[in-house]
Amino acid sequence: MSQQIPLTWFLYFAAASFSIGLMGVLMRRNAIGVLMAIEIMLNAANVNFVAFWRYGPTPASEGPISGVMMALFVVTVAAAEVAVGVGLILLCYRRWRAADVDELDTLSG
Amino acid sequence: MIQALFIALSAFGLLMALGTVFARNLVNAALFLVAFFFVIACQFVLLEAEFMAAIQVLIYIGAVTVILMFGIMLTRNIQGDETTTVTRPWRLLGLGAFGTVCTVLVLGINAYQPWTDLSVRPEFPVTKDSTTARGQAILSMTPTVGREMMTRYVVAFELAGLLLTAALVGAVVLAQHDSTDVVNARADKPGSDPAVTGS
Amino acid sequence: MAAGFSLQDFILFSPVILLTGWGLLTLILDLTVLSRLSDTDRNRALGLWTIAGLVSSVVLCQFLAFEYVGNVSGQDTLIFFDTLNGGVLYTQFAALVLLFAILVTCLSMVWNFTSHWGEYYALLTWSAVSMIVLIASEDLITLFLSLETMTICLYLLTAMEKSKKRSAEAGLKYFVYGSVSSALFLFGLSLVYGQTGSTGIDMIGQILSGAERPGLSGNVAGGVAVLMIMVGFGFKVSAVPFHQWAPDAYEGAPAPVAAWLASGSKLASLVAMVKVMGGALGTWSATTSPTSPGWVGLLALISAATMTYGNFAALGQTNLKRLLAYSSIAHAGYMLVGVIAVGISTRREEAAAALFFYLVIYGLTTIAGFALASWLDRDRGTEDVDDLNGLGRRHPYVGVAVCVLMLSMIGIPPTAGFFGKLYMFMEALNVGGQDKVTMIGLVALGLFNSVVSAFYYVRILKAIFLRESDRKPLQNMGPEVSLPLAVGAGLALFFGFQPASLLEDMEVVSRSGLRFAERPIASEERGVVRTILPARTENPEAAPAAEAPKP
Repeated sequence: MSQQIPLTWFLYFAAASFSIGLMGVLMRRNAIGVLMAIEIMLNAANVNFVAFWRYGPTPASEGPISGVMMALFVVTVAAAEVAVGVGLILLCYRRWRAADVDELDTLSG
Repeated sequence: MIQALFIALSAFGLLMALGTVFARNLVNAALFLVAFFFVIACQFVLLEAEFMAAIQVLIYIGAVTVILMFGIMLTRNIQGDETTTVTRPWRLLGLGAFGTVCTVLVLGINAYQPWTDLSVRPEFPVTKDSTTARGQAILSMTPTVGREMMTRYVVAFELAGLLLTAALVGAVVLAQHDSTDVVNARADKPGSDPAVTGS
Repeated sequence: MAAGFSLQDFILFSPVILLTGWGLLTLILDLTVLSRLSDTDRNRALGLWTIAGLVSSVVLCQFLAFEYVGNVSGQDTLIFFDTLNGGVLYTQFAALVLLFAILVTCLSMVWNFTSHWGEYYALLTWSAVSMIVLIASEDLITLFLSLETMTICLYLLTAMEKSKKRSAEAGLKYFVYGSVSSALFLFGLSLVYGQTGSTGIDMIGQILSGAERPGLSGNVAGGVAVLMIMVGFGFKVSAVPFHQWAPDAYEGAPAPVAAWLASGSKLASLVAMVKVMGGALGTWSATTSPTSPGWVGLLALISAATMTYGNFAALGQTNLKRLLAYSSIAHAGYMLVGVIAVGISTRREEAAAALFFYLVIYGLTTIAGFALASWLDRDRGTEDVDDLNGLGRRHPYVGVAVCVLMLSMIGIPPTAGFFGKLYMFMEALNVGGQDKVTMIGLVALGLFNSVVSAFYYVRILKAIFLRESDRKPLQNMGPEVSLPLAVGAGLALFFGFQPASLLEDMEVVSRSGLRFAERPIASEERGVVRTILPARTENPEAAPAAEAPKP
């Protein structure tokens, strides 16, 4: 059997993609771009959850697949969040004719 | 062999993530995002969570990206050259945040011994007479997920249903055209929302 | 209690199930029976319908509290495989959240800010449901899911006023900040899960305190996790540097929704924060040695920045909703002092009770403050502080009520706000160990900030009592405005004279409902035997209620 993948490799991958997502959130002006970057961050967290579930120890009181369940529910949340986000972006787009976060200017302070 | 596969896959995934963040054209960004989601699905397969991989493909690639595409098309921001770039300070802040968070996380992972010790995937033997719950879960994840959803996480499951209903209802309301809608032509009076200087 | 679930769990959970169904019925009613009515009539009918649902849920809740929970003394029972609290904590806070929701529903009936009343009231009901589940959750999966359900409902409610541009903008800003912070929060949770292998809050606390090296020394990943979880909660309670959304969202949202954001969502998130920070991550709280800092230092910085920034920014505001937003940021700063006290005090139950006392009073007074804003919104369409000019002369009762509210928010006796601050700061000063200096500094800063806050609260009173109005007078407010105003002011005064009654109730809640993790023992406290299981104090007589002066 060939060499297996250590846990830390998955964690490095998750950490790197999480940071890329965070960078995207800060550097995108377009709200849909921000939404995509947020999806990257959520996915990175999901990789963490599943990797920890597969490799890590599980206390006796815990369900057998708690990490996977968490990831599964995060997928649900992400889907709902995207639907709501696109709805809000459309709403704003109809008012400003732009989907950029910094062109919204009625409120300031 | 499998290590090389992982490295190639991860490098591809990170490139795709970078593409999503940096692509000027939002449609391209969405396509990069699809590739990234697919890499995540592959990671789930490598972690022996095939059910999650299926869900990942179905929901993220099948549903989330489609909604995002609709959003992009409806806001007609496809070419979007100047709208997707930001000013220099934000660019620096973004790069700085990327560098800091990534370094700190990698250092943190390296410094935590219980994680670095786990270089081999633990085996959970499933034999006829002794089946550990974990091994059973890995072997047949779909029934386990179903059972857990109906027992331990029954409230969370119902709550997820509520969440999706609420999001559906709300998104329909928001995206609907109203007679009272303020459209661009008849915007609020300039003085009606006094911009107050705070901070 | 053995893990599992039975019919009784569902019975205990019936108020929540009832409300969820009630929200669906609201939608159906709106689409069928009421579809031909005008917007105003639909608003009234559905508002009353929602209030009926909320009231019946409160009644059910109190009935269950007597029937099932009341005879259980000591620790709260956990239901549904230990993922939810089914005891006093759940019933009491559910009743509180529902009370807030009833007041907010009253405010929603004030004027027609949207035409989608069915959806509005359904989302309001469902956000109340998710707040209750959030408070009751004992498992990170349920906690995260209910937190997200709550905020998604709130994003939608914020953007509901479709006739105004600023409402959509507020919704989008709230959404962007909120979803980024929840992504960070989730990543933090994943790191905690990685270190413990568990998602149960109590279990995490036990595992972390049972580790070979409890505390955060050398554990960078744990530190990052704490930081990210703090970002998540800091956003929900609008603490500086994660507060930017709050003034915009509060100003742009319709006034009832802003009231709901400031009261219900803050109450639920702070209780969850106490659970997670004090329960699961309680081991990492205190500074045990210079090389092992806890999260207390960081939270103290956030708290100091939050109260100072909130108060100083509020000084320059002319819009009432924006002013209340900054005031709510400042109050979040005070409440974080309470969270710190819960983290490191030896009297954690009492500290939590003091914090909950403050939260309840704050929620009631804030809803009443936004009642004033709703009134202005209805009659003027704007909500400048100057619009209040001369109000006291035309409506003396309103003047008195607002006076009580403002005194309570500043924290002047004999109002409940004073006792809230007193109890919380006393508990903060009770802290021993290496963090005592930090706590003294924080309390001093809190007192200084209360003085600063007096300036802008008094400005409202000055407008009401001293200035002449040059604008068209406001119409009569009607019961929808006067009820929340009267309830807020009345309870602020009542608990000002009877603070012990609420405090004792909150002590029962925190004593039986909160499970704290064992902290690592600071060097001077060594000698006490450390156990894996959390130790509980068994002397209810030592409650600070004894300090409360009874008139």
